[in-house]
Amino acid sequence: MPDKNTPSLPFESGDANEQKLWAALAGLPRTEPSTRLRQGFYDQLEHAGAEHWSGRLRKWLGLGSNSGWLTAAACVLLGFGTAQLLGEPRAPESDRLAALEQSVATLNRELVLDRLRADAPGTRLQGVYQASGFAQDDAEIVQALLQRATQDRAASVRSAAIDALGPQLGSAAVGNELMDLLEHTDSPIVQLALVDLVLRNGNRQQLALLVKLADEQRLHPDLATHVQNSIRSDAI
Amino acid sequence: MTMHAVSDEQLIEWVANGDSSCLGTLFERHHRRVYQFCLQMTRNPASAEDVVQEVFIKVLRKAGSFRNTGSFRAWLFNIARNATLDHIRKDKSQPGPLPQDDYSESLMVDHRTAEQSAAGQERMGTLQKALATLPAHFQEVIWLGRFEFDSFRDLGQALDCKAGTARVRMHRAMQQLNLAFTELNGAPFDA
Repeated sequence: MPDKNTPSLPFESGDANEQKLWAALAGLPRTEPSTRLRQGFYDQLEHAGAEHWSGRLRKWLGLGSNSGWLTAAACVLLGFGTAQLLGEPRAPESDRLAALEQSVATLNRELVLDRLRADAPGTRLQGVYQASGFAQDDAEIVQALLQRATQDRAASVRSAAIDALGPQLGSAAVGNELMDLLEHTDSPIVQLALVDLVLRNGNRQQLALLVKLADEQRLHPDLATHVQNSIRSDAI
Repeated sequence: MTMHAVSDEQLIEWVANGDSSCLGTLFERHHRRVYQFCLQMTRNPASAEDVVQEVFIKVLRKAGSFRNTGSFRAWLFNIARNATLDHIRKDKSQPGPLPQDDYSESLMVDHRTAEQSAAGQERMGTLQKALATLPAHFQEVIWLGRFEFDSFRDLGQALDCKAGTARVRMHRAMQQLNLAFTELNGAPFDA
């Protein structure tokens, strides 16, 4: 049975819909794990305990300094043997699987790009969420996300796109665009997304610009206070 | 002294001192909640169970690094959170399916409050789906804040950030959940 003693944070927003959502979240299903989990854990614990003891034994026998190359050599030999035994018959199957995975990835990418260009804000929002998984190594998707972040007419889409671009804040192209957006946007929701992002992942220069904007009252007053408090507690 | 009288912090100290059997007690106390968090994030029961096993083995290996400056639960969920995010990053080509539209009453647990009882099944299904469409850093803050922690200090520790940052992130996550729900439902949540 689920645990009934569920701790929860007090809900602080004044938005009535968000309050109802917060209350409703308590009714989400809390699925129980299967019995396999407990069995698997105790098996692993036993194994980990045995490793622990074998490690102590090796140390006691004075093999500690040799363990690296001995293990590596054993792995190479084992790997070679396994490849000889299993490698050839499995190759065609693994090639087909790799090709299939590649096709699925390509289709997924096209779908994400289509969604990012859709007319309906809801579809674009969905596209942005899905694009987060591709954004790290796909320039076209990064560009499409930047366009959503800077130009989308729906603030929710801009805000979500900013989050999706978060890991790229350190790259000059993305970082400059986002900091430029922070300087010029009037939307509190977009400012909030950018402030949160810069406080989490910003470099020294970006943090300095953020403080400057807060000091010059160019951010929403609550956000300016949050920036000043965060920077001050970091400095302490 | 029974095991019930022993705090998590004391148990993890004993684990750090070499008594790995105490990890079993910690597992029994916390594995369900860790699993439910991992399941929310991965949307795949088998993956969630794998991650939970990995989490508790990490607890065994990292027990010596636990510092009594925060709660064990916050430390545990920090490990769970990092392990889950690693898993999602490695497995990003195969995300679990979104929750289905045919949200079943049988899935709902019997501890719903009056507010949730009044909410329709379909609307709860939409809420579950809306939560699942949010990025991981919003899902985790909502789930942990709603079900696991009653202070922003502990929540921040679990999320590797300050209490103030956790507060802001929660605010934003709920805004996004509201937007996502409204998009999927065609109207805002109205209990």
